[in-house]
Amino acid sequence: MSGTGKEQSVGIPPAEQASGARLTTLRILLSNEFGLLVLIVLFAIIFSTISPAFLSKFSLYALGRTSAVNIMIGFSMMVVIITGGLNLSVGSIGVCAAMFGGLLMQAFAMPWPLAVCGGLAMGAALGALNGFIIVRSGLHSFIITLATMSIFFGVMIFLTRAESYRDISPAFTSFGRMKLAGIISPLLLVSVVAGILLSVLFRYTALGREMLATGANERAAELSGIRVHRIITYCHLLSGVLAGVAGLMLVSRTGAAIPSMAGQLGQDWLLPAFLGPVLGGTLLTGGRVSVLGTFLGSFLVTMLTTGLLLMQVGAFWMQTYLGLLLLAAVLIDMVRRSYLTRRKLI
Amino acid sequence: MSIQNAPSETSVFVAEGMTKTFPGVTALEDVRLSLSKGSIHALLGENGAGKSTLIKAITGVHRLDSGRMMLNGQLFEPTDTRDAISRGIGVVHQERNLIPRFSIGENIFLESLNAHPLRRIDYNKLFRDARVWLEMLGVDADPAMPVHRLSVAKTQLVEIAKALSLNSRILLLDEPTAALTPHETDTLFKILRQLRDDGVSLMFVSHKLEEVQEICDRVTVLRDGKNACESQPLEGLDRQAIVRLMIGRNEQIPDWSARDRSTGKALLQLKNVSTSLGHKEIDLSVHKGEIVGLYGLVGAGRSELAKSILGKFQVTGGEVLVNGSRAEIHSVADAVRRYRIGYVSEDRKSEGLVLMHSVLENVGMPIWRRLAGLAHFLTNGKIRKHTEPYIRKLEVRTPSLEQHVGNLSGGNQQKVSVAKWLAAEVQILIIDEPSVGIDIKTKAYLHELIRELSDNGTALLLITSDMPEMITLADHIVVMNDYRIMGEIDNTRDYDTMSERIMTLIQGEELVAAE
Repeated sequence: MSGTGKEQSVGIPPAEQASGARLTTLRILLSNEFGLLVLIVLFAIIFSTISPAFLSKFSLYALGRTSAVNIMIGFSMMVVIITGGLNLSVGSIGVCAAMFGGLLMQAFAMPWPLAVCGGLAMGAALGALNGFIIVRSGLHSFIITLATMSIFFGVMIFLTRAESYRDISPAFTSFGRMKLAGIISPLLLVSVVAGILLSVLFRYTALGREMLATGANERAAELSGIRVHRIITYCHLLSGVLAGVAGLMLVSRTGAAIPSMAGQLGQDWLLPAFLGPVLGGTLLTGGRVSVLGTFLGSFLVTMLTTGLLLMQVGAFWMQTYLGLLLLAAVLIDMVRRSYLTRRKLI
Repeated sequence: MSIQNAPSETSVFVAEGMTKTFPGVTALEDVRLSLSKGSIHALLGENGAGKSTLIKAITGVHRLDSGRMMLNGQLFEPTDTRDAISRGIGVVHQERNLIPRFSIGENIFLESLNAHPLRRIDYNKLFRDARVWLEMLGVDADPAMPVHRLSVAKTQLVEIAKALSLNSRILLLDEPTAALTPHETDTLFKILRQLRDDGVSLMFVSHKLEEVQEICDRVTVLRDGKNACESQPLEGLDRQAIVRLMIGRNEQIPDWSARDRSTGKALLQLKNVSTSLGHKEIDLSVHKGEIVGLYGLVGAGRSELAKSILGKFQVTGGEVLVNGSRAEIHSVADAVRRYRIGYVSEDRKSEGLVLMHSVLENVGMPIWRRLAGLAHFLTNGKIRKHTEPYIRKLEVRTPSLEQHVGNLSGGNQQKVSVAKWLAAEVQILIIDEPSVGIDIKTKAYLHELIRELSDNGTALLLITSDMPEMITLADHIVVMNDYRIMGEIDNTRDYDTMSERIMTLIQGEELVAAE
């Protein structure tokens, strides 16, 4: 063994590199992310032809601001999906974090950065609680987060008496209403930064790799010395933090922390939470992630919603379209995946 | 017996030109076979030689691409398994095919239960009928007991009872003795001989050539999907000749002399260890550079002991010492990171490897933390630098390190699961059934590698049910049965005396228990 340790890694011969490059191109063209990009451009053209208002400065600004929140919600679900689980309580946690942040600003008159940290800590705590219960009980995250969705929301309503906090620090709300270069919302930048950080996590840290390995095959990961229970708890904790970010983004945008901002039990967040990661190619069974895919997927969904609204499609039809989109995305992905597998590209 | 190669009028089943292809592989090519009335026919071949496909063709799971099968002089083209059963073909599969929560009786008569789907089941009659079969096979168990409460061996016997209850005239047995003790095997063989004398044709698939020579009268050997020999009398064929037919050349048993490595430092010691899984009074030590073999039958508790050492299951009594001092192992992570113990699983697909991840990810898994350090930053380049030498050393054949492990062949997957622990530079390596599902060439290669690892000072605990493998590799053999250590012997590397002594040790317990 000792002799080979000194051997330098040699790399792949040039011939293989050439064919490898061709394969890489093909892989990119067939990738989810590329497909999403094509769809985004396609729908942008369609919407702007039908309704020129779509490309107006305000419309683009609103699109960026709304998608920023949806992207964050998508990320929040994504980091749990990679473990092969799911987190139905994203909405509940998001609202709880937002309400706690609002409480700190209004009742305790805290400066907004501290209040934001407090809100995120609340998100982290609730997420970690989810993870702890799941790991300890050995039950599927579906059932646990279904329960905590209700518990978190119920307790929050009880404690706040279902009242909003409207005394939000002006500096904080102006952040959500600011326009950079006329059309870009700073909230979108927050999502971009979060995406970059998540990409770094999964690509360049041991923790991120361990999360993916645990999601792909928990038993194998454990027998390779990965503390799988701790890793799963971390994923839920991270999910809680990201949900908290999304909640606080909404507070910053609307200027108030409102218990019903994500609907009853936070259910309004569920569809965007799943749509982004699933469209983006994050495997529901765990073990594979695409941060860029989630970003683009959530953006596409928001764009479709905005576009359809501009075309004055009724709200009920909107839900139907989004549902159909989810179904179509999954089916297309199945075809794509089986093609790639046949060609041995993945 | 004296008639040479004559599928005479006593042949109940004759197959000719059997060909079956799957996308990319020809599983069977022009295979011939004939089973005579009242005989026990051995079907031999390496993993992947086509045995399973052949059995599946006879039992109606697969349709042949070409060729024909004749049953009692009539053309036999089973449409599905049910059809094959109704024509008198019974099969005992290698994998357990019983429903764990159903009773023994229900399992035995499962096929006939749905004759009248809406009629009430007469359980008294069902259990009465089941008892007849159980008594015949010498199984002392209540037919109303759920199958999951039986030992592995008894489960196997229930499976055989199920096949027999269908009044099969042809009975295919796929590795029926893998989980049986020698005593139970003897009982089974008595019954098989009796069935043979009653005119049943039996086909016996086994990797244990000693058993084949003991009980079978004819043999068909498959190699790469073709006949290496067809329905040849076993008389006059010795072990070497059979192996030659199976692998196409002589068996190469490395001429390694016996060694004594017990003088080195004891890296792993178990003292009077008991576990939450039921192990009792386990004493074991593995020294630096030593290969200790842990022999036992399926279900003896060997893999479970390995996982308890690793901290996956709880050690409830006694003590585990690593490097001479007491080890506090509360999780597998402790074992891997603090004590540098590695475990190559027998089940590489579900707990050894992450099939959907790349070769690089898999080999790097145990050392990510160490490489990332406090900064927690890790690049592919860094992982590559620390793993590639080992991947190259093991000659893992893969188009690139980014290739998914699931796309590699069994042998290469096994190399990846070993390379992982070489890269982790473990001081103690537990290898569980290293040669399951890999070809003879890779197997020989792995054997050399294991030997080399021990020469470099790694302490190895080898778990295998493959007796020749055990005797080739181990320096010292510990025999285990029913979660206890039965005894231990130094390996002299003389196959006949060693296998006999090992078997006596396993059997020893049985005799005591019977009294």
